[in-house]
Amino acid sequence: MSSEAGDTGKAGIIAAPEDAVSMDKLAHSVLDDILYDLVHDMLIKVHRDEKLARANTAAIRVEQLALKSIDGLIPDQQRPDVEIETDAAVYKDGRVTLKINPLKSTKEILCPKCNLPRLLHPTDGKGAKKPDPSVIYCKRHPYIEKPGYDIYGQTWVAPGPGRGKKKKDMEKKDPNDPNSPVPGTEGSAKDRPPNVLSFPSATCSKCKRCILVTRLNNHMGSCIGNSGRNASRAAAQKISNSNGGSQNNDNTPPGSQKGTPLPGSRAASPKKRDMEDADDDAEESDASKPKKKIKLATNSLNKKVTLKAANSTKKDKAKGSSMLNVEQKVDDDDGKNSTVQVAPKKTNPKGPSPTKNKIKVAKPSQPSPAGKAKVKARDRDLESESSGALSSPPR
Amino acid sequence: MSSARPATPASPKNYKVKPAQQGQPMYGCEHLQKLFNQDQGTTNTSIHHYKAILRTIYDQTPLISQTAKTIDNQVVTTLTPTYLCLQCPSTVTEDDRIKHGTKKSHRFYVDSRSASLYCQMCDDMVYDPTFEDLRLKKLGTSTFSNARKRKQDELFSPDPVKDSPSYISANTTVATCKASGLRGIYNAGATCYQNVVLQSFLHNPILRNYYLSDGHSQCDTPHCLSCAMDDMFQDFYAVENTNGYTAANILSGFWISERKAFENLVTTKEQDAHEFFQFLAEELHERNGDGKKPEIGSEHSCNCIVHQTFYGKLQTQTTCQNCQGVTNQVQSFLDLSLPLENLTQKKGGKKLLGGKGTMTLQECLDEEYVKLDKCEYRCNGCNSTQQARRQTSIKRLPNVLSIQLKRFEYKQGRHERAAKIDTPVQFPLQLNMLPYTTVGRAGDTKENYELARQCTYDLMSVVVHVGEIDTGHYVSYCRVGDQWFAFNDHKVEVAQKSDVLNAKAYLLFYIVRSLA
Repeated sequence: MSSEAGDTGKAGIIAAPEDAVSMDKLAHSVLDDILYDLVHDMLIKVHRDEKLARANTAAIRVEQLALKSIDGLIPDQQRPDVEIETDAAVYKDGRVTLKINPLKSTKEILCPKCNLPRLLHPTDGKGAKKPDPSVIYCKRHPYIEKPGYDIYGQTWVAPGPGRGKKKKDMEKKDPNDPNSPVPGTEGSAKDRPPNVLSFPSATCSKCKRCILVTRLNNHMGSCIGNSGRNASRAAAQKISNSNGGSQNNDNTPPGSQKGTPLPGSRAASPKKRDMEDADDDAEESDASKPKKKIKLATNSLNKKVTLKAANSTKKDKAKGSSMLNVEQKVDDDDGKNSTVQVAPKKTNPKGPSPTKNKIKVAKPSQPSPAGKAKVKARDRDLESESSGALSSPPR
Repeated sequence: MSSARPATPASPKNYKVKPAQQGQPMYGCEHLQKLFNQDQGTTNTSIHHYKAILRTIYDQTPLISQTAKTIDNQVVTTLTPTYLCLQCPSTVTEDDRIKHGTKKSHRFYVDSRSASLYCQMCDDMVYDPTFEDLRLKKLGTSTFSNARKRKQDELFSPDPVKDSPSYISANTTVATCKASGLRGIYNAGATCYQNVVLQSFLHNPILRNYYLSDGHSQCDTPHCLSCAMDDMFQDFYAVENTNGYTAANILSGFWISERKAFENLVTTKEQDAHEFFQFLAEELHERNGDGKKPEIGSEHSCNCIVHQTFYGKLQTQTTCQNCQGVTNQVQSFLDLSLPLENLTQKKGGKKLLGGKGTMTLQECLDEEYVKLDKCEYRCNGCNSTQQARRQTSIKRLPNVLSIQLKRFEYKQGRHERAAKIDTPVQFPLQLNMLPYTTVGRAGDTKENYELARQCTYDLMSVVVHVGEIDTGHYVSYCRVGDQWFAFNDHKVEVAQKSDVLNAKAYLLFYIVRSLA
């Protein structure tokens, strides 16, 4: 048809001028057809995803009703022998059949795994909508697109003082400060908005001490790899020891090398340590509690991560406080942290002013009915990856 | 081609509709339900026809499926989709669908571009579980039978006990819906070169399936990097944590590892992501493989997960210019390294003549795997050193193709120093590797659509180095389904395709589309 139409292809968007020569018209019509194909492919893909999700939702809903109807009478039965009908589907003989096009009958999407409704809009940032607080949604949320925040709406407190930065500086810039209900305790985990995370600590597998993650590589270098500055000191000490006791005190003042902690102990100077301890992140545990598990640290952090929907109104934008994001410049005077990225263009110009305008989302704390969701992770993965195309080509 | 297929089941076989699954309607729409419930004969012909249509669309030249006959017997070939009738062998255009329907009362058509089913009574595309299964099988493995082919056998060795649904449900836990595998990894102090490689491993479906299906288990090695990988996959795909991940075990495994070749890597300083990729691949091979050292250059191959995922084979054919004697040498490779410098200079010359300033990945591949080069070698036939033509091609493509664009060149000379080449290289989302394979170069493969599909790769992740050579930073992009994400240490953001394609890639990971 398209070639016959002459001036334009099927999409009817790219048209040649009327006085164009036939080759010109053909070129326009080919381009127009290709445009049509592109839109067609994209549309089919989105349509398939959406329609399958709605059809499955209709099935899940009628199955739920069927299970409810035999509630408790016959335990452990997956496919009760009842007949149930909804607007969208019929449940009969353990099978679900559609009544009409699910795009017309079904408006929401239920998660095939936990059978809870899916949140269809992000809670913050681009395209955000307020979720219905009375509904418990599936925990899988649409990803958030908001400058300065990650896909879960999280942001990070800047790495704490101790690396050339003074604690006072940090506090000054703390956006919590003006609004903080209890001044003087900012920086501690309790007062931080729950979407602001701090850097965790991890246990060194050799010396079992808790090290702030940003220093883990350096620590392991000195602890395992023998490449830190302790190594050279240890070597120097070895040499001086082997030279005999008589020379020992000649060149080196006592307390300098002698006082150096043994390899495997803390590398930082006592002064630094004080400053680090002031940072509330529990980055370091003393020898008295050497086996502080990293799990603990991460778990407690996890609890804090509840979703907040900060209203990104214009008011917010106007309130230009400089939240200390991770992206902001990190001091690397010591040269060791040289990879912490500096992306000034990304720094968040609008402070999130976390204490205002926050709406609590219905907490996704409800455990998913794990007993019902039958699709096991492995099962599903293997199936989809082996029978379907591996790298999910256009479906 | 389809007629030559001997495995095509003959008509006596009765086709079955896919049995009812929980949480899924049994049929695509109420009209298909009627069709399938008429009698066995109708079901047989419908499914048989659909298979034939799939073969026409995917295995033959598009000329066939794109050519329709209008109602007044005019033959039309079009670029836009046509509709192949499910109930008879005719192909119609969109405008003639209704006419054909009223004339023959055929109500189901297959769209020639997507092979989706159109139901005239719904006036909508319908996605029937039975048909969708066939379509995905055709697309993913180019066969309808369940007899798995070699490549799959290696990857998913079927185990009757471990693959049974009851065994799986008894021994696995259902991951929470919140765990999506999307988490950042904290920078432990100049470790972003590790993070980008780890992210690309984490979003590699083959490695993910291997680790999540307990591929590496019962390991007693202390500080085993593969165990650390296993832990990491668990933490990404099964835990409800959205905070960044602390790769402490990987890091300590890395420090403890005694891999001499990578000794210089083990420092607290920023390192090369590509070297770390090689290190990790070899280390994981050591932990999972046959125990032999993977000599790059030899034809060594084993069945470990790393070899099945990343390793392919290169063939170098050397032709003596004197006696025309041919020697073939086969080597296995972990990745393809493409030099940029020569091409940049060449292009620079062209630029002056008005050419474009950018180059494409395909141009780089052409340079290495299509063009011939001359060399001197000792010919066995002539028993002397002769001029020879040398040509390298890919004998066996890996499932995951890793490509390094050599952006860091070591300048030889008095002032030895490394320099970064910042030339942008355009790379596609979809890469056809057929021109660079030994098979593709040998014969006329233009008409072989199945072969072309087997050599089609989809972009999976991109590692980018930003900044100067000494003070730079690594970021990466990974694809999950159809959505791209940008990973910058602990920070994960949504990325657009344009962000990905405009990046100055350093490492590219492509994954094969079909496991045929």
